[in-house]
Amino acid sequence: MRQYETTFILRPNLGEDQFTEIIDRTCGIITDDGGVIIDVDRWGIKRLAYEIKKESMGYYVCLNYAAPGTTIEEVERIFRIDDRLLRFLTIKLADEIDTDGIEKEKEAFASRDMEEEPEGAEEAAESEPTAASTTTDEAKAEEKPAEKEEQPSDDK
Amino acid sequence: MAPPKKMFYRRRVCRFCTDKELVINYKDPKTLRSFVTERGKIIPKRIFGTCATHQRQLNEAIKRARHLALLPYTGTIQF
Repeated sequence: MRQYETTFILRPNLGEDQFTEIIDRTCGIITDDGGVIIDVDRWGIKRLAYEIKKESMGYYVCLNYAAPGTTIEEVERIFRIDDRLLRFLTIKLADEIDTDGIEKEKEAFASRDMEEEPEGAEEAAESEPTAASTTTDEAKAEEKPAEKEEQPSDDK
Repeated sequence: MAPPKKMFYRRRVCRFCTDKELVINYKDPKTLRSFVTERGKIIPKRIFGTCATHQRQLNEAIKRARHLALLPYTGTIQF
């Protein structure tokens, strides 16, 4: 068994029921093939950096699981057929994972979720657009000082 | 002939080697954004001084993030 991570983007106008349905179906394919789901992370609706299939927003879901390699083929085949999906990306995290490793990973994810929830939940609920705008400002602010630092060294 | 221009090089060290807490992850566009230009191009390691190992990981991460529309292929994101 190998550990994989699949991130996919769904059309935002489907509604919560269809999101859950697609996630459950994908999880079903994995578990039917003898895989184990380690973590399901819903990032929620985010703005895309560029339009995909005329959509400017997308619902991000990130699955972390252990499964044999053949499962990936099946999962991706289904993904390709389904046009409610905008994008998907599967990444191999580990070549070999045993049951102990799976348990450890699960615990690690559970503890991470516990840490994040108290602050993360509020922020996400309050205002996502403003949070996004501040991050771009930060990025710009970071760039500027870096440029200033470099200029004097060139003059010398 | 003009005398050779004196050049002072500031030793740039890899940000990922000095700061162990800074991890390269394609799911984290906030950090990745500081390693691309305003136009969305990857900044070469000769400018930033990232070591070869981390630059390679960075490249991979940025390209993955682009595929998932977390980072733009070209141009800035208007928020």
